[in-house]
Amino acid sequence: MRWLATAIVVALFGLNLWMPDTALGRRGTERTVHTHVPAASSWLGQRLAPLRFEDLEGRTVSTADLLGHPLLLVFERSVDW
Amino acid sequence: MGVRRSVWEPRGAPPVNLAFRFVAALSGVSAIAVGLVLFGAFFAYQRPGSEAPLPMGPLGHYFAAFAGCALVGWGSALLAGARDLATGRRLAPGTAFALVLLAVYRMVGWLMGDYYALAGDLLRWEAGAFLLLALAFIWLRPREAPRVSF
Repeated sequence: MRWLATAIVVALFGLNLWMPDTALGRRGTERTVHTHVPAASSWLGQRLAPLRFEDLEGRTVSTADLLGHPLLLVFERSVDW
Repeated sequence: MGVRRSVWEPRGAPPVNLAFRFVAALSGVSAIAVGLVLFGAFFAYQRPGSEAPLPMGPLGHYFAAFAGCALVGWGSALLAGARDLATGRRLAPGTAFALVLLAVYRMVGWLMGDYYALAGDLLRWEAGAFLLLALAFIWLRPREAPRVSF
């Protein structure tokens, strides 16, 4: 039993060390920028795809409503505990 | 309040038992200290006009206080286990299991973007520390008392 528990803990420890090298765990500001900015730069100047979403007041907004004004769109996953 | 020796721990006790006492006592004191901080944070949060002591809202502070109370209880049990090896022997497997659970949810939290954004690699460091501590509780667990017949 002691060896089984040890094997599980050591396996988890190895996974903890290995996680940053997995496809899911690869991240980091510098790495993300290097990966994503060149790809995103090809989208500059292109037409925004049609979108519908809710704003903070619950109103439905579409891309057609946004035409004609300066606009900054920020997409963020919320951590609201 | 001296350290009570168990029936199977004669003078010149094996170093493994002394190491167990040390690990259990250190873990117990740490758990109690963190638990009291979490408990106190709840009350600090309730003061009118105060800033949140922890980076979360009312629900987060509520559950932090709950975790704090549980940590005080767990830490007290570990201190009892450090004093009495028979108690420590019973506590060690459950403690190791709880430490593994603490490590697992930190590892999953690291993989999730939300928690990584808050704490970064600290989550992985903490997970590693908890796993090492779990190994300590597994391997330093006091041995069973010899059966004595009268």
